[in-house]
Amino acid sequence: MKRHLNENELARDERFRRNRIEDQIFDPRNVAMSTRDLGPAQMSVDRPAVSERSRSLMHGIFVGEIQALEGAGRTCYDFDDADAPFALKLDMARQCWDESRHVEISCKLSDHMGTDIGEYGESAFLFAAACNPDPVMRLCGVNRALEGLAIDVFSSMKTFGESTEDPILTFCEDWMLADEVTHVKMGSDWLRRLTENDLDRRERALDFQRTVDKVFSLGGFRGESEENPIQITRKFRELAGFSQDECDELAAIAQQAMEDARTMVAAAAASQS
Amino acid sequence: MSTARAPFAPWDRREIPGLFGVEESARRIGNYRWTEMRLFEALGGWVATVPELDVKMVLGRHCYQHAWHAELWTKRLPELREMNVERMTTPANDEMVAFMDAVSEPEAAELTIEKLVGVYRVLIPRTIAAYTYHMNGTSTITDSPTIRSLNFALQDEFDNWREGEMLIQSLLDSPEKVERAIRRQGELERLITAAGGIAGPDSIGTQPDLQEATI
Repeated sequence: MKRHLNENELARDERFRRNRIEDQIFDPRNVAMSTRDLGPAQMSVDRPAVSERSRSLMHGIFVGEIQALEGAGRTCYDFDDADAPFALKLDMARQCWDESRHVEISCKLSDHMGTDIGEYGESAFLFAAACNPDPVMRLCGVNRALEGLAIDVFSSMKTFGESTEDPILTFCEDWMLADEVTHVKMGSDWLRRLTENDLDRRERALDFQRTVDKVFSLGGFRGESEENPIQITRKFRELAGFSQDECDELAAIAQQAMEDARTMVAAAAASQS
Repeated sequence: MSTARAPFAPWDRREIPGLFGVEESARRIGNYRWTEMRLFEALGGWVATVPELDVKMVLGRHCYQHAWHAELWTKRLPELREMNVERMTTPANDEMVAFMDAVSEPEAAELTIEKLVGVYRVLIPRTIAAYTYHMNGTSTITDSPTIRSLNFALQDEFDNWREGEMLIQSLLDSPEKVERAIRRQGELERLITAAGGIAGPDSIGTQPDLQEATI
């Protein structure tokens, strides 16, 4: 078996359909959507099409967990012992088990919410962050950016579960949230340990994380205002080793991602008219 | 003053003698660690290459369990005067390297049967055999920390063996697939036989010759 797979090589059964994040962001229907007043973007019971949106998000979590499982597994295999010490691989193997449980939980939750596997498309941009050939970059991309996004998503889904009085959703999201805090903390700890004597490498890794964080903000999907469906969860991020400054920086990155997306939508609308 | 009692209860039949000294126990554990590490790395790598969702999730779980076994041996080696864990983490012989290379070779999405047969019909049964021999042969008093770790590992190995075997059975739905499984098992059995097992030729002891055995 070769080392280092790319996202196009992930093995799936016939139910899964791959789509590209660019197609979602540049979907021409976004222009029409942007002119509609749908009220606050956060998921709540009075939000139009909240059932559809929550099921779609749940399916996104499900495929994201599969990719997180695959990413952690590849980190166990892709590096020799000199690049990735055994203790790091042991942590990644533990993460494999955690993500495996999350796939199981997401499957059950999707069923609970009335969604079939493959009902929505799968974008592989999460795994793409796990393809970096440098283990430090990969940890920043996966454990701090991807798993950090998972903290925000699970926290928002837990709040949604509470608002809809769904004890199963709330229960499951809370358990997965606990694991994700552990994974982000793992990433923060290993980033410090592996770059202790190479601050340039640490800065390059943090730069990579900023890039991934901007992509993962999905043009306004995540942020700190009412316009963002997924809220940045400072409390849990701080538990996981993020400083206050890092949370502020992430909020600014998310805000910038939203403004960039608006600019693109406005340009697209102008070109259509 | 309390009543004097014998140091060993009547039901405690543990004895000092064992088959292995400190060095031999450490050598075997170094071989186990090497094998468990190659195994958990391969299982982790395979997760992304198998399309079957149930198999994918099981491999993710088993990946951690074998990494944890490697961790058990990482902790045990220094207790056996082997302070340089990496130096002792070696394959039993070159044939064992060839075997593990062959086990982890399949990559393509349509080779799930080959992946699973290598691990669950060849490697794990051999691991169970070597661990059981060590557990049954080593001193139950002097080497009891190793026995405790072997027990933990064996519990997982038996569970994994059963789970992996059931996955294989569920995939063998045609004569062609049965043939593939048999062929794969045969190829790997030849390799592990050449290695003698995960701890080399003495993995499960040497068979006494017939004359000696009948005395």
